[in-house]
Amino acid sequence: MNTPAHENDDDLRYAEYVLGVLDADARAAVARDIESSPAAAAAVAAWERNLLPLAEEVVDVAPAPYVWVRIGDALKLDAPDRVAPRKGLWNNLQFWHWIGIGASAVAIASVMFIVTLPRPSPAPVSVSAGYMVSNIQQDNGVTGWTATIDLQNARMVVVPAVPAAFEPGRAPELWLIPSGQKPISVGMIMPDKPTTLALDAALLSRLGLTAVLAVSVEPIGGSPTGQPTGPVIAKGAISTAPRAQGHPARVANLSHQRGNPGQT
Amino acid sequence: MSVTSAAEREELNRLLIETGRNDQKAFAELYKLTSSKLFGVCMRMLRDRGEAEDVLQETYTTVWRRAAGFDAAKASAITWLTTLSRNKAIDRLRQHREELLDDSTRLEETADVQPTPAAQAEASQEYRRLQHCMDQLEPQHRDWVREAFFTGATYNELAGRCKVPLGTMKSWIRRSLLLLQKCLGQ
Repeated sequence: MNTPAHENDDDLRYAEYVLGVLDADARAAVARDIESSPAAAAAVAAWERNLLPLAEEVVDVAPAPYVWVRIGDALKLDAPDRVAPRKGLWNNLQFWHWIGIGASAVAIASVMFIVTLPRPSPAPVSVSAGYMVSNIQQDNGVTGWTATIDLQNARMVVVPAVPAAFEPGRAPELWLIPSGQKPISVGMIMPDKPTTLALDAALLSRLGLTAVLAVSVEPIGGSPTGQPTGPVIAKGAISTAPRAQGHPARVANLSHQRGNPGQT
Repeated sequence: MSVTSAAEREELNRLLIETGRNDQKAFAELYKLTSSKLFGVCMRMLRDRGEAEDVLQETYTTVWRRAAGFDAAKASAITWLTTLSRNKAIDRLRQHREELLDDSTRLEETADVQPTPAAQAEASQEYRRLQHCMDQLEPQHRDWVREAFFTGATYNELAGRCKVPLGTMKSWIRRSLLLLQKCLGQ
């Protein structure tokens, strides 16, 4: 039986829960109360009505278009009726454009890649919204390759910073490693010139800022096992290209924009 | 967008109810209208774009699955959605707080998403009412209530940031919450 004093204590605890100051255990206890007691649920809801208006002060930040792609894939949603029956990724992307998230699609389509080779520093690449980039570095911090991911056209351009030498019969293979998951092969890349790779829906849905790209040394035809078999010679975190909203912007020194590559 | 006018709120309520009936178009429209607000909330708390994206994805997959349980009589859609994203962001913070706070480079990334008092013209009636009550609090206490709300920090963390004993921080916040309840209840 709750005394009035206990009820007051509980109500304060629910206020603290909504404000967000409780530690994990205390939060879990309130979450159990909400599930088991309609009175607790009502008290928490009252505090939400009281305090949540404060969130109106938070500045809106537009999420990158691939977040919606990932949500659609996770829930296995269809494209809407007005879009042609789904024939794969391209229609899917049209759908995302249609709902207006890829608002600068026209601008993106007209963006051109400007790549200068060879360079010891990351190759400057023209980018706009809808792009992700990765500076794939060797252990010594020197850039091995720069990857630019064009989400709208589902492709990735991988450019070596300096031509790399490989033993006969060996070649670099590029891997996408989603956080906490096994590497997924993106494809073989050239050691000495730019490679363009098509990205299928499965790969695209796993691209995100907690994933990393890595390069391993494999037989010419690619890893025979589907997982890296040779040494990993470079890796890099993925970041969003600056939101230039149709104005191509230069990207360089990406390693300064994110923390330690591969540590996210 | 700012979701403040009564008409906008009604539209979001309708979209969330339609989402609860498995209407994918309504869900897409709801995402279009609310994702920037929710992503702003996540970015402010998590201070890391990748983490915020993960939480935003979790939030909307949960929206799709639980929208049928939304009751417009109990809460507005925007309150329901913002609460969901805040809870998921706070849970994420509690899971691995140290990693996130260890990296000072991330602070720069969110320098442009500091909350600012909403312009009076845009603010909802509920916001203005809350602001009026917040104005009655001790300025220092009010600052820490705001810090708590926007960053999702625990009492311990707040006390550490403010360099006061834990008991002091608890008493400031609790007193503020009770005053707010009294003021808002009137």
